[in-house]
Formats: sequence, structure tokens, C-alpha cells
Amino acid sequence: MEQELLNLQNEARGNLNQLTEAGQLEEFRIRYLGRKGLFSTIMRELSAASPEERPRLGQLANSVRAEIEQLFDEKKTTLDNSSSRAQGANAIDLSLPGRYPERGRLHPVTQIMTEVCSIFEALGFSVAEGPDVEHDHYNFEALNIPAHHPARDMHDTFYVSESILLRTHTSPMQARIMESKQPPLRVIAPGKVYRCDSDITHTPMFHQVEGFLVDTKVSFADLKGILTVFTQKMFGEELALRFRPSFFPFTEPSAEVDIACVICGGKGCRVCKQTGWLEILGAGMIDPEVFKMVGYDPEIYSGFAFGLGIERIAMLKYGINDIRLYYENDLRFLSQF
Amino acid sequence: MKFTIDWLNEYVDTDGFTPAQLAEHLTMLGLEVDAVTDIFQELAAIQTALVISVDRHPDADTLSLCQVAVGAETLQIVCGAPNVRPGLAVAIALPGTTLPDGMKIKKSKVRGIESFGMLCSERELGLSTGHSGIMELPADTPHGQSFIQALGLNDTLVEVDLTPNRPDCASVIGIAREVAGIIGRPLTLPVENAERQASTAAFSVDVESSELCPRYGARLITGVTIAPSPWWLRKRLLSIGLRPINNVVDITNLVMMEYGQPLHAFDFHTLADKKIVVRHPRENELDFTTLDGVVRKIDAEMLMICDGAHPVAVAGIMGGMNSEVSDTTTDILLESACFNSISIRKTARKLNLSSEASYRFERGVDPGGCLLAMERAVRLLCEVAGGTAAPGGIDKYYGQKPFNTLTLRIGRTSDLLGIPLDYEIIEKALTSIGFRCKEKDADTLWVGAPSFRVDIEREVDLVEEVARLIGYNTIPTTLPTVQLSYSAQDKSRTIRAEIGTLLTGIGYFEAINYSFSTEKHLQWLGLAENDPRCRFVRLVNPLSEEQSVMRTMLLPGLLENVERNINFQKNAIKLFETGKVFTPMGVNEQPLEKTRLAGVVSGNRSGESSPYHFKQQLVDFLDAKGAVEYLLQELRLLGLGTRAPLSFSLPDQDRMEPFTDPLQSLTISAGEQELGSVSRILPAVLRKFGIKQDVFFFDLDLDALCQLEAVAKNFSSLPVFPAVNRDIALLVPEHVAAGALVDAVLLAGESLIEQCEIFDVYQGDSVKSGYKSVALSVTYRSAQKTLTEKNVEKVHQKIITMLGSKFEGTLRTG
Repeated sequence: MEQELLNLQNEARGNLNQLTEAGQLEEFRIRYLGRKGLFSTIMRELSAASPEERPRLGQLANSVRAEIEQLFDEKKTTLDNSSSRAQGANAIDLSLPGRYPERGRLHPVTQIMTEVCSIFEALGFSVAEGPDVEHDHYNFEALNIPAHHPARDMHDTFYVSESILLRTHTSPMQARIMESKQPPLRVIAPGKVYRCDSDITHTPMFHQVEGFLVDTKVSFADLKGILTVFTQKMFGEELALRFRPSFFPFTEPSAEVDIACVICGGKGCRVCKQTGWLEILGAGMIDPEVFKMVGYDPEIYSGFAFGLGIERIAMLKYGINDIRLYYENDLRFLSQF
Repeated sequence: MKFTIDWLNEYVDTDGFTPAQLAEHLTMLGLEVDAVTDIFQELAAIQTALVISVDRHPDADTLSLCQVAVGAETLQIVCGAPNVRPGLAVAIALPGTTLPDGMKIKKSKVRGIESFGMLCSERELGLSTGHSGIMELPADTPHGQSFIQALGLNDTLVEVDLTPNRPDCASVIGIAREVAGIIGRPLTLPVENAERQASTAAFSVDVESSELCPRYGARLITGVTIAPSPWWLRKRLLSIGLRPINNVVDITNLVMMEYGQPLHAFDFHTLADKKIVVRHPRENELDFTTLDGVVRKIDAEMLMICDGAHPVAVAGIMGGMNSEVSDTTTDILLESACFNSISIRKTARKLNLSSEASYRFERGVDPGGCLLAMERAVRLLCEVAGGTAAPGGIDKYYGQKPFNTLTLRIGRTSDLLGIPLDYEIIEKALTSIGFRCKEKDADTLWVGAPSFRVDIEREVDLVEEVARLIGYNTIPTTLPTVQLSYSAQDKSRTIRAEIGTLLTGIGYFEAINYSFSTEKHLQWLGLAENDPRCRFVRLVNPLSEEQSVMRTMLLPGLLENVERNINFQKNAIKLFETGKVFTPMGVNEQPLEKTRLAGVVSGNRSGESSPYHFKQQLVDFLDAKGAVEYLLQELRLLGLGTRAPLSFSLPDQDRMEPFTDPLQSLTISAGEQELGSVSRILPAVLRKFGIKQDVFFFDLDLDALCQLEAVAKNFSSLPVFPAVNRDIALLVPEHVAAGALVDAVLLAGESLIEQCEIFDVYQGDSVKSGYKSVALSVTYRSAQKTLTEKNVEKVHQKIITMLGSKFEGTLRTG
């Protein structure tokens, strides 16, 4: 009996030692430690031993079992802490692709639009959207562009009727909002605009964001400040930019904002027409005539307005070279952004 | 506006500045330089030569055999020009040279005699259309030199993109004035002053429409000889791309470019009654032939220059054939006038005719400058064309404005620009380009604007001038101080952003299509003529029929996108678009603009997902339904028990869309209000769009969606007791909707039922025909205790019995 116990102890030790996979543990447990296992069988034989031998053998059996149980637990811990193979998993080819469903993407125009709007929203501007089909009044007259003004040449306009047209810029929102609200105002107006022009650099529909700020004591220096913050957030803090005089009938002084060419870094290339600069924004101090038309006193209020083209910014940021790609909705294009 | 650096230097000395530096100055003054190019580079390989001897070609009467010196070399050249003669300085193209018209010069044999190059005519050099012989260079031209160097053609062309407010800079002098101001050098004008002439009896001028003609000046020049212009004059015009014509016309063009004042020369002897009348056409004057030989329809609104009998020019736009200067002209009536810009603009539009003259008049020509330009032209006509200026002239000046004096507040200027300024800075800036300043009081200046600055009318115009002249980049960069306020959020924008995030998350790409469309597409969809979506907002001037109406649906654009993507071998297409559709209201009224969300799904379900993990399967109706279900549930507008406002239902048969499969269409509605649909597009419709595979479509009224109230998020306690799952496999007639079984279970009123889901629907071999097997998984749970088999079994049997009787169902076994 005693010898049997010791043999079992040795056998169990040896077997346990040879185990290399977690899957074999259960088999071992059943064979030795289970309810019908070898140790249980021996224990039941204990009753056959002489009464004087019984306590010693009982003690021995318990200590052997305790030892094997401890070794078993240790082995289990060791295997659980080693590789997946030891834990019984099938071999896996780690070069196989990970498993995830494809996701879609927002249109690059939407992505840039969102980025532009977020920068201005962080500066406290609210966002307003207006109609695509506009009154001549808001698109032109209220912006100091009377009929037969040469500035109308800058806008190839789609007409719906004599006084209704597709807005050629998002600037009508300036007049619409100022007409219904009192300063101080900080608003941006994103949206679609239309010009009857179509070639490699023009599509008849594109997107703009208009913005304006009206209050007392707003200066051209403030305009420079806000647009500098915007441009640097959009294109990088180190980016050089310049303001140069231009003309828009609804702002005076008017400015165009150039950034150092993002393609050549300002050295001069085809994209920047060798100038080293890229025009990205039109802006200016709101013309007193525009204020008068909405009933603001230009002696009390001043403000600035600006507008930018989303497609152009996306082209510069992403290096897109053909504006027509935007509206073909080719998945090979859309999936790149 | 184009000019060259050499031309600019006539009026301001730019020595020491490179063309690039001058361009930078102009751009920073608001005169944006578009391009700076070296000109005549196509003639870079042409050399000068001297003809030494000319002999008859032995085998051809019309050809000469010439010996020509080109630097140290003497070359034998065969030449066919009649004017070749010994001692003539000529332009030569040596073998290897390509001429502007693309002709390549090679060493060749002409009638058996070798020729080592070609002596060039002006036409061959692209300098004129004259073809009377080879170009004769000035006698003192050294030979063996670069042709463009020797003729002073090495010049740089600068193109300025003029803004409409600066007509004064549509002239080389205007540009020179800005340059002189910024580099601080004097401006020299060819003619500084012009006296008003005493009236003459030699001709008369009658201005009937003086409101459209603020000034009309005219002079008579007699005894001119019409001839090609001298080289210096032709060179000026050629350098900016204008074609020289003859000395008289060239002079009017040169002076127009110089002063910005359009001029016109009439052949005096063609003018009936020696008279000019500025008037509208008479009723019988319908046609007029302009200089370019085109017969134009003229109308009563147009302003014409007429003689005693007929129109002789379209005022300010183009002269007429009938009074054109010709080779036999001897006496000229020179017009220097000013016309109303709106009138010119309207006429130019109607005639679809624009000219250098109309470009300037449309933007505004300074009536004060008419005489100066006329005087310059008269002097040139005398010098160059041998004419004599008849004494006296006519100057009808109706639009003389009082001297334009404005006040400019220093404080106001400083505030608006955000930079402290004083009298000295402002005065220095403004006087540098011809303004006059005088101190009015401590804060105010009197400023006199020169008459050519037709754009300066208000104080703010002067503020801009100051800003421009001190330089925008010297103005500091500050941030405005504003009162803090909450910027309102637009719900439609927020929802659109959320939709974008949700749909891209399940594999949909966002499309943006043009807002324009074509009627044809809705015909392809089979919409009835009286369908409201067949009423369009039409463009008066569309670019094409394809883009002639504002869209009333998003579907056609998306179908075009599907077709394109299939053509480019993308066979897993999931696209959505949020955009406006337009419904006409009244004429001269804005249309109704409604925002919709639409999506299409077609082809392979798993797209670019790894085919190792996601097997190739075609999408079906439930993919489209799933997208909408997921979207609306996430927006908390659908599902969530019965609390959400939206639900799916079968469409009314009489309201079925003509382009959808009647058996695969669902309506999404909020109570009675239909908000959208999910459907399979009929193959016959798809074929019209060039699509040969199934496309599933969804469409939602986004504006209406924004009006709905989303179900508020509301916490319910986590269950404490375990759930019990039981499955039911039920055989039901095939017309029974599986979803109806689920609804019946959930609505059975059993409080222990927590969830019921379909996990299989099967029709096939082991199911008798006309029936299908629907497998449901029902979850039971009690909030009070752990359920026993007995508790569950009792309810479960009730459910089975209920389903059996309600749907003619039997439990499926085996």
C-alpha cells in the first residue's frame, strides 16, 4: 500500500513534468485527481489497511495528494503564462489581414468645410446657411454691385428669372443676417455657389465659406489677426502669409490673402505661377454702403468680411489637380481622403 | 493690361529694379501681376547679316545668289526677294533655326545651288503680315549679332490683372505713376498740358445725347501720308501683342495704351456734311458694318457716332467700315471722347463685341484727360505721318465735374486700419500718386483727388488708398475684442454631421453631385408628367441640357455615380448624399429648398474589406433597409420599443413610385406623414442609366426628420436575475411576415418576455411548399427572481399557442 502510493506519486510527478499543453491538464486531472481518479481509488483502499497502519498511511496519502495538487496548479499556471500553442490554440498565420469591416469616408469638400467651420466656431463664430437660389438683390444690389457694374463680370451668373439667380458667392448671407440682427455679429456662412463656367480649373458649382464680424471699433488689423489665426490653423503655424490690396464692391479696403506656396515652399513653381504665393482668401472691411443698406450707421459700426473657396483649399491641402474630380464621386477618388 | 519694362521706362526710370521686383511692388499695390515674360524669345536664334553681293541665280530668273556676311563668316544664300541688294542689313535664319511659324531652316540646294540659311521677311518673323520682301534693318545694324538685341526687342512683358475699380491703370502711364510713387522717382509725361482749342469752322460736332457723352473732342489733321509705322512704333505695339496696321491707326492705338484714352480716326472726306452727330440710330438705321467687316444689328438704345447722314461708328466700341482710314486717306478727323460706361457696357453686351476701347469706357474713362491724349496723338500724326494740324478744334464738355475735394479724418483712418497715423504719413502716401493734401484741422485733411481717379468718391476710398500705399503688411495683426456670446447651433447641420459619421461608419461614402440636373432623368424614372417633381426651377442660361434644371430628386445623380463606378470596375458601391432639392414657387420668387438624404447600395456587400474574412456576397434590399434602420435608431427616431416616432410600413399601392419594385419597397413614416422610403430600383429603369446590376435606394426628408423629437436617453436598472432563452421554429404560410411574428410575441402582454429575435427563415426541401419555417429566439427574464423551467415553460407554451392560432402556424419538428 505504501509502495503503491509512492509509485503513484512518482508516476504523477513524471507525467506532470512531461505535460506541454494546457489541453493535456484536464486528462491528467481526471486520471489522478478526479473523483474516480487513481488517488481516490487508493484512498478507498485505505479502509482495508490495519487500524494501526491506517493513520500513518492516511497521512501519507493526504500529503502525496496535496503535493501532486500543488504541482498540478503550478504546472497550470506555467502553461497559462506561456504561448498560445501551450494553451491549445491552433497555429495562426500572423501575416493574415486583421478582421474589420470597411468604413466609408466623407467627401473631401465636407471634410475641409468641417475643418474650416470648426476653426471659426472655436473663435466664437456662429454658422448660418442660406438659400442657393437667391434674389438678385441679396447677391448683388445689397452688396453694392448695381446692375451693369463691371464687377458683375467677375460673376458669371446663372439666372432663373430676371430677379432670381443661383448665388454666385455666399456673401448674400452678410446682407440677410445684418438685415435681421443687430451687432455685435460673428457669423460664418458655408454653402454651395454657382458660376456658369466649366473647365479644368472651374466647375459650375463649388463651395465657399463666407464670414463676417461687425461691432464697434473693428479694424483692418483685426481682420488680419483673425485670418492669420485661421490660415495658420488650417495650413500650419509656421506658414508665411501676406495681405495685398484688391477690389470687391462690398468691402473697402479690400484684400486678398496669399499663403506661401504649399507645393514649392515659396520658391516658385507651376502651381503658384512662379510667384511663390497662392491666393486663398478674399477679404476686406465691410463697405459703408453695405451697412447703410441694412440700416447700420457706418460711423458707429465697422466690420470685416471674408470668403474662401473650399475646393481650392482641398486642392492645396491634398494636392488634387483637377477640380472636376470632386463631382464625379468616383470611389477611387473618395476613398483617398 | 499689358506693358513692357522698356515702355514703362519712357515715363519712369526703373533702373536698378528687376522686372520681378517691379512686379512685386505692383502686386502689393493692388495691381496684381499675372505674368512676367521675356518676349520675342521665339526669335532668339535669328541673327543680323549684311548683304555683300547679289548675283543672278544661273538657273532661275527670280532667284538671287547672295554672299552674306554674318560676323566673321561669309555665307552663300539663295534668296527670292525682290528687294535684296548689296549693303542691305537683313535678318538671317541659319540652318537649325526654327521660325515662329514652325518652319525649320536646313542647309539646302535651290535649283542646284547650295544655300546656307534664309533671309527673313517680317511675316516669316511674325512681325507683320507684309510679304513684299525681306525685312530691311536700319543701315547701321552690325552683322553677326542677335536680331532681338540689335533691334532692341529684348524686353519683358508684364501682365496685370486689373480690378474693375482702377481704369486709370489701363494705361502704361497709369502703371508708371504707381511705380514712380512707390520707388520715389519722378514721372515724365510726353505731353503735360493741352490747351482747349478755339472752335473751328472746318467741321462741326453735334451731341444729341449729352447724358451718354460727357465729352466729345475732335481735331482735323490734313495732309497725312498713310504708310507703315516706323519701327519704334510697331515694336511698341508688337511687344504687347497688338498688330500694327498703318501709321494713323497705330498712333491711336499707341496713345490709347499710353494714356488709357481710346481715340478714333475717321477719314474726313467720308463724313457727310463735314459733320459729327452723337446720337441714337434712327428707326430706319438697323444695320451697321463695323471695321471688322461684320454687319451688326443696332437698336435705338445704342449710342452711335454719325456724320450728317449715317452712323459711322458704334460710340466707344468700334468704328465703321464706311469711314475707315484707308491707304488713300489724306485728312483725318481725330476723335477723343468720353462715353457713359453703362451705355457702352450694355451695347457691347448686346453686340457681343468688345474692344480695347470698350474695355476702358466700361470701366470709366476720365473726361478730364481727353485733350491730353488728343494732343499727344496730334503731335505724333504730324511727326510720324507728315500731317498738319488744322487750327482750332471742337471740345464739347458736358460732364465737367467740380474739382473733387474730400475730407479725410486722421483718427477715423487710424481706427479703421488699426494703426496710428499722422498728417505727414498720410500726405506723403497720397501725394506720391498725384493727390493733393491740405490740413483742414488737427484731425482732418482736405484731399484733392486727380480727375483720372474716377474711383475716388468717399472718405473710405481714401482710407483704402492710404492703406495700400503704406502697405497692408505694415498694418499690425491684432485680435478683435468682442463681447462673449453663445453661438447658436443649427439642428440641420448637427444632424447632417451625425448622419455623416454614422453612415461612413457602416461603409457608405459621401457623394456630392451638382444641384443641376436634366428633365430626361425623371423621364427615365418613369415619373408622371403631373408628378410635382417634374416641375422644375429652370436655368435661363444653362451650360448644357444636362445641367438645365435644378434637381428635384437626389436619385438620378447617385445612379450616375453608380454607373461611373461600375465602369471603373468598382463593384461594391455604397454612396449617400445630403443635399437640396428645389421646387418652383412663382416667377421672380425664390423656390422652396428642401434638404434630403439619399443613398444607394449595389454590388458586393463587403466592399474593400478583406475577402479572406468577408465572403463575396451581393447586397439585397435588407442592406438598404439596414442602413436606414441603423441610422434612424442611432438618431433615436426608430425602434426603442414603441417610443420612437418613426416606423416602417408597406407603401400604399396607389402611391408606389414608378421606378421601384412593388414587392421590395418600404415606406418610413411618422404617423400619417411619409418621410422616406427604401426600395429596389427596377432593372428597366437602371438600364436607362446604363446599369446592369441591382441597386437599392433609400431616401429621407431631412428637414422633416429635424422636426422630430428624438427619444430621450433614459437609464433603466441593470437586470439582477439571469435570463432564459427559448427557441421556437414555426411553420407558417409563406405570405406571413416574419416580423409580424416578432411583433405578436412582443405585444402579447407577457411581462416575462424581454426580447424576441428572428434567427432563421427557411424555405426548401424539408419545408412543404407554400410554407416557410421561421425560427425565433425568445428571451425571458423576471425582475424579481431567477426563473425556473416551470415559470418559463408556462409562458412559452402560451406564446406558441398564440402564434399557432394567429398565423396558422405549426411547430416545426426535426
